[in-house]
Amino acid sequence: MYGIIDCDNCYVSCERVFRPDLEGKPVVVLSNNDGCVVARSNEAKQLGIKAGVPYFKLQEQFPNEKIAVFSSNYELYAELTGRVVSIIRKEAPEYFRYSIDECFVYLDGMERIDLKEWGENLHRRVLRSVGMPVSIGIAPNKTLAKVASHFAKHYPGYRHCCLMDTDQKRIKALKLTSIDDVWGIGRRYTARMHEHGIQTAFDFASRPQSWVRAIFRNIVVERTWRELNGQDCVPNEELAAKKSICTSRSFSTMITDPDELRTHVSNYAVRCAEKLRQQGSVASIVAVFLNTNPFREDLPQYWNFREQRLITPTATTTTIVQTAGNLLEQLYRPGYKYKKAGVIVMGVGPGSPVQPDLFDTNAEQFQRMRRLDAVIDRINRVQGTETIVLGAQQYTNKDGVGKADVFANAIKHDYRSPNPTTRWTDIIRLK
Amino acid sequence: MPGSINILPSEFTQDQPLMLAPGIKAGFPSPATDYMRDSLDFNRDLIRNPEATFFGRVVGDSMIGAGLDDGDLAVIDRSLEANNGDIIVAYINNEFTIKTLDLSHRSQGYIQLLPANPAYKPIRITDTDSFMVWGVVVYTIKTWRKY
Repeated sequence: MYGIIDCDNCYVSCERVFRPDLEGKPVVVLSNNDGCVVARSNEAKQLGIKAGVPYFKLQEQFPNEKIAVFSSNYELYAELTGRVVSIIRKEAPEYFRYSIDECFVYLDGMERIDLKEWGENLHRRVLRSVGMPVSIGIAPNKTLAKVASHFAKHYPGYRHCCLMDTDQKRIKALKLTSIDDVWGIGRRYTARMHEHGIQTAFDFASRPQSWVRAIFRNIVVERTWRELNGQDCVPNEELAAKKSICTSRSFSTMITDPDELRTHVSNYAVRCAEKLRQQGSVASIVAVFLNTNPFREDLPQYWNFREQRLITPTATTTTIVQTAGNLLEQLYRPGYKYKKAGVIVMGVGPGSPVQPDLFDTNAEQFQRMRRLDAVIDRINRVQGTETIVLGAQQYTNKDGVGKADVFANAIKHDYRSPNPTTRWTDIIRLK
Repeated sequence: MPGSINILPSEFTQDQPLMLAPGIKAGFPSPATDYMRDSLDFNRDLIRNPEATFFGRVVGDSMIGAGLDDGDLAVIDRSLEANNGDIIVAYINNEFTIKTLDLSHRSQGYIQLLPANPAYKPIRITDTDSFMVWGVVVYTIKTWRKY
């Protein structure tokens, strides 16, 4: 059996740990640069606030509602969810952290334990210890566990844990699950499912496998079909490392200056490289995208994307920054006001052993750069992020003279909460 | 000896040192090998539930009689059940407060948060108040000399 433990409205719940007064009230968390809503409390959802709505529209749409608004504070979210994972690690034989707010567990070897009770206890323990409400779905495979967790989250009767341990329960759940809520079925496939008269997960699972293969010709869709029918097909390794990594931000103001754009893109590239190294991976493709503000219909619009294959797959900061910089140069068109840019690394694979390409003139530098990255990562981890940065990462000082400002200070975060678990200066004050 | 205390060696780190595997000997064996134990470690020995442990700073003099001074550091465990007489961190009127929990008037329909300073009044809490016990204080740390 597999379980998935999912933090309920994760970012909002993190904010509420140190703001218990916001329990039961509408709360939203904004994306970086306070662009749009990325997390909503149940009360905010009930008001009709949609995910992804720009912050300025929120103010227009709900002028009379009292909504608590936070800038995203990933430092806090990472620390608190780390505590959740740490509890899970003690309670389950094997775990795979899937995202900041989701963690899969492999529960074989626990046959003699009442898994429903185990899940309810885990919920209680996490809530009590960290203050984080979690929902738990347990089923014979990961796709069904996701379905189960959906029930655990939305129906109080399950007491935060839904165990799908019989075929009867599986079929009943699939009949109540809309196809677009199924893990692995994206928006792209939902439309095609609807064309073929498929509305629920059960509609899909009852089609013959040959039909699924003929219509979709896609291994992931077929695998999802098999999982919905009870087989265990998604390998654990697939959960561990991400296939592509994207770092992107909306800018706090619209940008026209190519140098400033370059500094942003360099910082995103550095983040991508760091994330690659953290999971022990290398990437073979670097891509950059750039766009203007689609909400400003009065301004000329531009959107573009470009990718480049690397000769040798790498996680080296300088290579990825350079490549991203070159791509940006190709994408950049003067005369537009840019609102967002991003760096994506793709073709992600295991970090070693990498076969340096015969035609890669940088091959001999490879080892040296790897050592340099390791040293920089270590210093930034021990001394604090951005202790060592590339020149390309530095923004022009606020007074307009010289370059020194770092990434963290260049993001807009007007409503950011303190960091009571990671900074002594921010610990709670007890009167 | 009355009035004296034992001084114990201690170490403050989260890294768990690797123990030597007994039985593998290269060179002259140390006679102490069989008696090896881990050094005392505050993080390991005093913090029972690290996932539930948070820190707070005492502000003001409301608990001065209980030995809690302005600026003291409180170690808070959220996972413990608060008992009568515990020093707790409560959230009330949109702020955190540190007080002694008095459950002795429960049958009369209220509980109290007791300050330890005659200049402050006990805080009486009834069902209608929005109030939560946020955690139980397990240690406080005082600074006697600054580095």
